[in-house]
Amino acid sequence: MKKALQSFTLLVVILTSVVACSKDTTATVLPITAITVNDIPADTVVGLSAQGIPITNGKYTFYSLEKNAIVPNTDSASTKWDIAFMATRILTNGGTSGTGLGGAFVYTGLFDGLKTIPTDSVFKTDNAPTSYAITTGSGKGWYTYDGLNNLITPLAGRVLVIKTASGKYAKIEIISYYKGGVTLPASASDADKLNKQRYYTFRFAYQPNGSKTF
Amino acid sequence: MKALFITIFFLLPALVPAQLKLVNDTLQMQGDSVVITANRMERKLSNVTVPVNIINAKQIQQTGSLRLTDILKEQPGLTMTSGFGAGVQLQGLNPDYTIILINGEPLVGRTAGVLDLNRIALGNIKKIEIVKGPSSSLYGSEAMAGVINIITEAGTSIPLQASLRYGTYQTMDMGINNAIATKLVFYQGFYNYYNTDGYSIRPNSSSRVTTPITRYTINQQLKINLTDNTNVSFGVRITDEKIKNDISVNNGGTTITSSGNENNTDQNYNISLNHRYNNSLKTSFRGYLTQYNSKQDLVTVSGDPYYDLLNHLFQRVENQTDWNVNKKVNVLFGAGAVWEGVKSTRYDSEKIRKNNAIQYGFTQLEWSPLDKLILIGGVRFDKNESYASAFSPKLSALYKVNTKNKIKLSIGQGFKAPDFRQIYLDFTNAAAGGYSVFGTAQAQEVINQLSQKGQIGALYDSYFKLKALSPEYSTGVHLSWDYEPNANSFYSFQLFRNDISNLIQVQQVGAYITGAQIFSYLNIGRAYTQGFELEAKQKLNKKLLLSGGYQYLETGDKDQIDQIKSGKVYTRGANGYSKLLSLSDYVGLPNNSKHKAQLKLNYYTSNGFFANFRILYRSKWAVNNTNGNEVFDNGDDFAKGYLSLHTSFGKEYKNGIYLQVGCDNITNYIDASNLPNLPGRTFFGTIKYQIFNK
Repeated sequence: MKKALQSFTLLVVILTSVVACSKDTTATVLPITAITVNDIPADTVVGLSAQGIPITNGKYTFYSLEKNAIVPNTDSASTKWDIAFMATRILTNGGTSGTGLGGAFVYTGLFDGLKTIPTDSVFKTDNAPTSYAITTGSGKGWYTYDGLNNLITPLAGRVLVIKTASGKYAKIEIISYYKGGVTLPASASDADKLNKQRYYTFRFAYQPNGSKTF
Repeated sequence: MKALFITIFFLLPALVPAQLKLVNDTLQMQGDSVVITANRMERKLSNVTVPVNIINAKQIQQTGSLRLTDILKEQPGLTMTSGFGAGVQLQGLNPDYTIILINGEPLVGRTAGVLDLNRIALGNIKKIEIVKGPSSSLYGSEAMAGVINIITEAGTSIPLQASLRYGTYQTMDMGINNAIATKLVFYQGFYNYYNTDGYSIRPNSSSRVTTPITRYTINQQLKINLTDNTNVSFGVRITDEKIKNDISVNNGGTTITSSGNENNTDQNYNISLNHRYNNSLKTSFRGYLTQYNSKQDLVTVSGDPYYDLLNHLFQRVENQTDWNVNKKVNVLFGAGAVWEGVKSTRYDSEKIRKNNAIQYGFTQLEWSPLDKLILIGGVRFDKNESYASAFSPKLSALYKVNTKNKIKLSIGQGFKAPDFRQIYLDFTNAAAGGYSVFGTAQAQEVINQLSQKGQIGALYDSYFKLKALSPEYSTGVHLSWDYEPNANSFYSFQLFRNDISNLIQVQQVGAYITGAQIFSYLNIGRAYTQGFELEAKQKLNKKLLLSGGYQYLETGDKDQIDQIKSGKVYTRGANGYSKLLSLSDYVGLPNNSKHKAQLKLNYYTSNGFFANFRILYRSKWAVNNTNGNEVFDNGDDFAKGYLSLHTSFGKEYKNGIYLQVGCDNITNYIDASNLPNLPGRTFFGTIKYQIFNK
């Protein structure tokens, strides 16, 4: 009896996978593979002042989703970059931030669950310093700040839906704000909290054909 | 003051001739002591209809406990919390929801809802009664999770006693008790000095987890029998504590260190007039005044002063009349009035006291239709000046199935009045981004004014829902079964469930144009706690008593559970990707352990030698939300479960000398971030000298 049950389970599993496979192959749009990017620095701490205040260079790190590469700061006034990071602030290449067609909004849901950007979605643009397409502040956009333990944690179930500089679409899930890709424990040392912060690990999917489907 | 204590202490033995007899003792079983707190009248424990734990003086003494915290942490169903002093969590409910009484009168002066139990010295305590479940029908606000009533010594046979204890971290405790007991006058005095250097269990840190503290406690009680049926009594209790503070505050990576002093004073004065008209009718008038004053005077390293003041004044008059109608029916009724007020630097002006007045009435009927059955019903109504009124009913029953089995059932509703801070707080944190928290009394007005000045950037829906706060309510159901197969064994099984509604929570109501948040308070939360408790006592032989307790606890925020069920809450998997949170991964309210247990072995010989060994266990509990959602789940930060071992032994000599040594936390368990109140291994030695009446 037990054996029969096992065989049946096996059969069900095989059948299910066959069905799943056939579904994939018949899809009209090729699925976009998600790419994970590790430890992108975002204006990291370079030292401490005599008063013990952390020092940073105050510069954004620019990133091209199309090329999957960091864009040099000299190209900041171009449409070569799609998003830029400085501490917890993320810019898109449009509005007050750039010359591109960029914009964004924060979607609540799962990365894989967002197959098509809803047609009624509104892409916001940066309007510095009052508002940004990706809302800043704890609990409002993509992260929460725990003041007691001094930790930034990316909110689970948030997808940054991006319109790139050239008007294509991409989706991003931020995984971590700390070097190594894992949020530090509350018990981590102050030095670690200071020096390992401002490193983004995220995964993204970029749709090069201009459609809103991933 | 310290010098005076030392002088008195060392002079004592010389002044008084040793003369004396030993008070004989046996191992403590459940016994049938008298309970006052459970139903606001003196009843034998065997006739009490609600769950009660009693801790007697002997237990306090033999565990070597000094402060109320020390002994409560060893009791089933209670958990000590840290942060704003040591508070007590009862059946999963926060310290805000348990009222602390000394001889029936409430202590005030809570910081963020926590009353620091280290304030209470144990040197003159006769017993502590712990009543679980809502008892607001008799005690009013705060008696929502339970009541802890500390009863100080009365009618002692020891006219003079002095004790000295010294232990690790230069912790010194000196106490003197004196008493005069005649037919007409009863007097009792208690003086206590406590000092500790504090300790630092965090390596390489200058800030101490427990800072150097000096405390004095003076307690005087006088009772005069005016006639055979009338007596009047007076009581004064003053506790003064000085804390040397070195606080390090980390703000955006910058550490600001401040140093200075904190001075807390707790004063309690009471007077009562008791009269017995006849065997079936008695009445008592009570007047009570208490004031708690907490002052922090700090200077930061950069020279900026930091000053914080909290002053809580509480005055009450009350009458209670007990009428024994007949053998089967007892009635009590009472009424009272409270005037209380708080001054704080965190309100709009520290000079103006925020006041509240309460008038209340309560009544209770005890009816015993059968010899085996006792039914108790009670109600109380509190009319408040500054928030909505509260109505608290209670029903309980005790059924003695036979001589060995008893079943108790109690159902009641308790409440907790909104805190003064929730009504009057006016706090803007300039350092941390300029966010503000306004109490409900002025939130709308203040925000309106700010709006007219053009400082408000956004108002949320919650802003328009702001109104006068209502009390928080809890409905509790307790079912217990006591089993006493013989004189050497006692077992108890208790089931409990508490449903809390109207919880007051901080809510963002708007934002400044700078983006800084503005918060206020709303009655929005709903939660529950449920579980069971087991207690067992078994006398192994004439010298050995084994006792144990276990609590299983589940808690939850009902709104969060609804959100999880409707698929709106996410968490993070091991790969860092978001996923939906399943209900099985939800852990409920933070700081609650699912399992908690104690096991104690007591040894006692007829020549006065005693020894005990205690094991305390607490399973893991959630402390920090680290995986990107607002709920506590299995992916969050937990404090590790731990065991701590304690022992103490000593001897009580016939000539009045008492010697004791002990070791707490034998295995040296330390968790600096989650258990700051648990020092590493500590040792102590106590010497006591007492003069007995012939």
